[in-house]
Amino acid sequence: MGQNEFNEQFFEQLLEDYFAEADEHLRSIRRHLLAFEDSLRDGFEADRKDINELFRSFHTIKGISAMAEVSAAENLAHHLEGLLRSLRDGNTGLSQDSLEAMLAGTRKLEQVIASRKNNDPIPPINAEIERIEIIHRSADQRGKAEPQQPGTPSRSGGSIKFRVFFEPSKELAARDLTVTTVRERLEALGTIEGSKPVIRGEGKIAFEFVIAVADGSDASGFDSLRDDGITVTAYMEDGPAPIDGPHDPDLADVEHIRPSNVVRVDLARLDELMLIVGDLVISRAKLSKKLAAVEDLLPVEDSRDLHEINQSLEKQLRNLRDGVMRVRMVPLAEIFERMRFVARDLARDSEKRVRIDISGEDTEIDKLLVERMVDPLLHLVRNSVSHGIEEPEDRLAAGKPVEGVIRLHAATVGDSVLIQVSDDGRGVNIDKVTERARDLGLLAPVDGIDSDLELLNVLCSPGFSTTLEADRASGRGVGMDVVKRVADELGGSISLETSPSSGTSFSIRLPLTLAITDALIACVGEQRFAVPQLAVSEVIEIEPGSIRTLENLEVIEYRGRALPLIRLSRLFSMPGDGRETVQAFVVNEAGGAVALTVDRVIGQQEIVINAINDPLAKVPAFSGATELGDGQAVLILNVSEIAKEQRTK
Amino acid sequence: MTLLENDMGETFVLFELAGTTYAVPSADVRQLEMIEHITPVPNAPDAVEGVVFSRGQVIPALSLRRRFGFPKVDYDLRSRLVVVSVGERSLGLIVDSAREFKRIPPGSISPPPETIAETTGKYISGIFSEDDRLILILDLTELIANGDEIQTESNS
Repeated sequence: MGQNEFNEQFFEQLLEDYFAEADEHLRSIRRHLLAFEDSLRDGFEADRKDINELFRSFHTIKGISAMAEVSAAENLAHHLEGLLRSLRDGNTGLSQDSLEAMLAGTRKLEQVIASRKNNDPIPPINAEIERIEIIHRSADQRGKAEPQQPGTPSRSGGSIKFRVFFEPSKELAARDLTVTTVRERLEALGTIEGSKPVIRGEGKIAFEFVIAVADGSDASGFDSLRDDGITVTAYMEDGPAPIDGPHDPDLADVEHIRPSNVVRVDLARLDELMLIVGDLVISRAKLSKKLAAVEDLLPVEDSRDLHEINQSLEKQLRNLRDGVMRVRMVPLAEIFERMRFVARDLARDSEKRVRIDISGEDTEIDKLLVERMVDPLLHLVRNSVSHGIEEPEDRLAAGKPVEGVIRLHAATVGDSVLIQVSDDGRGVNIDKVTERARDLGLLAPVDGIDSDLELLNVLCSPGFSTTLEADRASGRGVGMDVVKRVADELGGSISLETSPSSGTSFSIRLPLTLAITDALIACVGEQRFAVPQLAVSEVIEIEPGSIRTLENLEVIEYRGRALPLIRLSRLFSMPGDGRETVQAFVVNEAGGAVALTVDRVIGQQEIVINAINDPLAKVPAFSGATELGDGQAVLILNVSEIAKEQRTK
Repeated sequence: MTLLENDMGETFVLFELAGTTYAVPSADVRQLEMIEHITPVPNAPDAVEGVVFSRGQVIPALSLRRRFGFPKVDYDLRSRLVVVSVGERSLGLIVDSAREFKRIPPGSISPPPETIAETTGKYISGIFSEDDRLILILDLTELIANGDEIQTESNS
């Protein structure tokens, strides 16, 4: 590998770490800013702990932005840090103005970092910086303290400074010596005052840190750095100026971040691990099958022993699978907190008063699923703010508290996770939706909307929106159809309850993970199919006599309603096995429940889902394929696609 | 220049289909498999016989007989699935038999004559003649890139 190539790879990795770390701090910042808001509203002083945490987060973002050479983020974080400093020192009080300035600055900071991540042009930051400086100036005018512009060097007392050079290489990385680990070690030793990448001879990249340690503190930490080949020299005050802003003596009273025992793992590596577990599950199924075949040939004791070994193997595999799955799981708290931020912004724009209530935020779900759920949740929360929650006067007239409540709730239910977004607003206006659906041709002029399921179906139709002028809150191109599609793609389902008095509640049910699921195995003719159990509400027997034909549609009576039949043998042009009484999966879909008939259900099994990626074999009716232990591919039915296809016929 | 491609020429895997010999570059062949169970995929394009698991991956099995419009035959012990990788994609080609490797010297491959049947003509990148037989060299990229076309053919 050439030096250039190494540098490139190195920077890529550095940036990746940078985005991940910045993201963590931004999340913490959002949380603490919201706490500020609460204090302000309740007339309390800002909590010192919140101030310190915010200060530290901005300080870290400043530092890592400098290393990643995202100067706009560095600059902005620097100003925000300054504002926090004067807040902490009592030069500025927490006011609506300063909070707004911090919120605006944070939002821009997020945008700057996101733009860098997406390689988009970096947005200008002048307005936000100007806003922060106005607050500083007004603080100065009040003469509460001597002017302290952010960026003005302040005296450092009682500390010694060192300059540390670290030149990363793949050899060092193999020994776990990376910019991140070195920085963590330095943080444990003292206060990092500055850091920047420098290009040394032969185009090699090195990092220069300036670190201040308390006078008289233990310097043995530096020895271990020296042992690792890192250059540590005394920092001369008359040498080159500190690279990155002033030393901040106050940082000393902020606890140093200790190197944590948390390991950041690339999701792809976990995917790989999950694949291996999947292979093991298949091998075990094979073993089990072979065992059953030879069972009769063995002495009873041997057969029993083998059976027991096989059973404990199965249990251990399940534990292993759960263990790997748990590593991939993250709590929903993060995105819930983000929604709080979003709702707050939206409510402020619309003059409505909205509170977000969060419960069950500790519920964990696959990391991949969390990421995919961000946009749908954003949309649901936006919808609640702009359509659900009424104007304050309307709420008073309806006898409701002025402040509307949006509830975000999560819970683990068996092998699935339930996520609910509810509001106590006015409910969905069915007349308005009906009218618009008729205008759009989604409903025949004579048809109405009789159930929440039908309503959901209309709302989730592509292009449906009752607000003609896209407002900031809801018109962002993500519609209910996208919410539905994401839930479908993730193997989940969505339901809706609404009433004018109690508001609207959307429930999304998702599998805990994507790779492995419990499935029912069924036969159509000679071919086996798998159906994820989450998609099936019931398995029923259908006697030929109970089938009625309406025009081209076969229906049966099911719980007092007509349930359309979809015969898989017909849909797939496959001969059935000729039996008269068939079995069917009852599937609740947005367009109404349907029954998918098969010849018979032959079992229930844990399956490993393999995607079908090649366009030649990709058919909407199947979400993937699995293997049941005999090496043969078994197709997994995508029931919602099948129901949809059938409806549009 | 790879191991398979030196001054002696590139190596090819040869296979038979309806009495004709075809060749694909060895470098593109991931493995040769006996044909076991192929799971039919309802509503997939006609030439797609189904899917199989190959090295833990679900790949389509394409019947070259159907692709080229030759009559269908039952599989026997000589039938093979030639698993090829082209770019990011992998797929299996069902052929009558595949038993030979051959190094073909550069410069001895001539462009395909215009008289080759229209269906297969566009998938042939060259011809190599040897003693009493002709070997048609398949253009895999073309064969697979035309997937969209198979899709529309079967759907119409």
